[in-house]
Amino acid sequence: MPRDASTEKPLVELVNVTKIYPPDVVAAEDVSLRIYKGEILFLTGMSGAGKTTLIKLICCLETPTRGLIEVAGRDLSRISSAGVQRMRQKIGVAYQDFRLLDKQTVLQNIAMAMEVTYASPKLIRMRVDELLDLLNLSDKRDKLAGELSRGEQQRVALARAAANGPSLLLADEPTGNLDPVATELVINLFNYLNERNGTTIVVATHDESIYADTEHRVMSLSKGQLSPHPTRAPQQIELFEA
Amino acid sequence: MRFLAYILRQTGKNLRQTWGTQIMTLLTVTLSVLIFAFFFLIYTNMLRASERLGNDVRLIVYLDQEVAEQARPELEKKIRSFAPVEKIVFVSRSEAFARLGAQLGKEKDVLNDLGPDFLPPSIEVYPLKTLNDLTKISQFSDFLLTLPHAAKVQTGSDWLRRFGYFTNLLRIVVLLSAGLLIISMTFIISYTLRLTVLSRQGELEVLRLLGATSAYIRLPLLLEGMLQGLLGSSLGIAALYSLYQWVANGFSGPGFLKLFNITFFPPEITASILLASVVLCTGGSLFSIRRFIRI
Repeated sequence: MPRDASTEKPLVELVNVTKIYPPDVVAAEDVSLRIYKGEILFLTGMSGAGKTTLIKLICCLETPTRGLIEVAGRDLSRISSAGVQRMRQKIGVAYQDFRLLDKQTVLQNIAMAMEVTYASPKLIRMRVDELLDLLNLSDKRDKLAGELSRGEQQRVALARAAANGPSLLLADEPTGNLDPVATELVINLFNYLNERNGTTIVVATHDESIYADTEHRVMSLSKGQLSPHPTRAPQQIELFEA
Repeated sequence: MRFLAYILRQTGKNLRQTWGTQIMTLLTVTLSVLIFAFFFLIYTNMLRASERLGNDVRLIVYLDQEVAEQARPELEKKIRSFAPVEKIVFVSRSEAFARLGAQLGKEKDVLNDLGPDFLPPSIEVYPLKTLNDLTKISQFSDFLLTLPHAAKVQTGSDWLRRFGYFTNLLRIVVLLSAGLLIISMTFIISYTLRLTVLSRQGELEVLRLLGATSAYIRLPLLLEGMLQGLLGSSLGIAALYSLYQWVANGFSGPGFLKLFNITFFPPEITASILLASVVLCTGGSLFSIRRFIRI
């Protein structure tokens, strides 16, 4: 759907963002990007291109060396630590390394995301069951996360990210360990969340199969620099003009 | 309400995950409270006994010769001018002899060969209860020795002085055990919480990533310290009460312990000890939380 970039307020906005890790590793360089509410955006690029760094910058796990990042109109550099925590409750993040607790069950791992918002136990059970069903993990509900395969763990991490019905979902390499069938389930979950809840989704991936046929915006990162994806028309890309 | 339920559930989870350490901590808190409360109980009872003994103070002035009846008011006036006195009793030789005979009871025959004049006459001075300071009693004693025909003054203050020294020593022991209580409680609780935090490092990290608030992460740990303080001190006080009951029942009757008439802490002192323990343990938790948890 075409957007009017001049009037619509973006949910996430990066303005000339640069991130340099000591001593001089440039992970993101002068990146400007607007992500609109209800959008699905694919960030593509090789390993080490800076995709994970961008995800971490958006969810406040990293701070930019230079530049401005706004989420829901709030400048992240001016947000308090309590504000960051409140914001994280509304942003679901599926990390590349999953960040699951191996000694807790699948149910406990997913429920944890909702417990921090003091959701009712009944709502938690319903929501967890729904997500496990969507990701074909219902039979793993009471298994320890450490006993699952990598692919299953990846899906549990996605379910946890989606548990709170977040307004923004950031998924870092969500299909890295999945077979085509499980990948399809994940794509379906993204579409379901996007269509049903209007969730804005940012997918950082180098798996071409998940964005090859998409109608959504695809952007490419290389050596920390954001550019239009070679296979996409330039007009699809929303680069912020400072 | 739901917030409270989550905090309580998290606290329970913490306690379950490190139950071995928690039990050791509980025992340490219990023992610390028991040691402190034990000495404090003895100290308070000693103070009470000391007060009781102080109330019974009487100074006896032994004289070279009897005081004539007409000279007694003048002497009494002189004594009262130095210190507030409840009563003054003049004891003649014959009265002293009669008293001793009465005290000896069936054995009074031993006095038959001695004659009624072998005991010296005396003046018994009963100071008011306000005269409870050993120095003042000593000064009063020195004054009484300056009375006409006074040969010796017996105050019993030496015994009182020794008793006072012992009470002072006990006060130091109480203060030391209070110090031990403070140190052991704050350190052990802080150490236990450190272990809890370390054992849950991964979980706390994930909770932070998921947006758990400071209250969600910190309150259960704070509550853990409070519970340890409350439970540990309750057990310590309960153990002391059992000990007290055993002593009270096993050593009742006439004798040294009867003199002291040991009593347990009144409810307000018990509550204060419990409260102090809770505050100390909560302080230990707070220290650990501030030091080891960054949100």
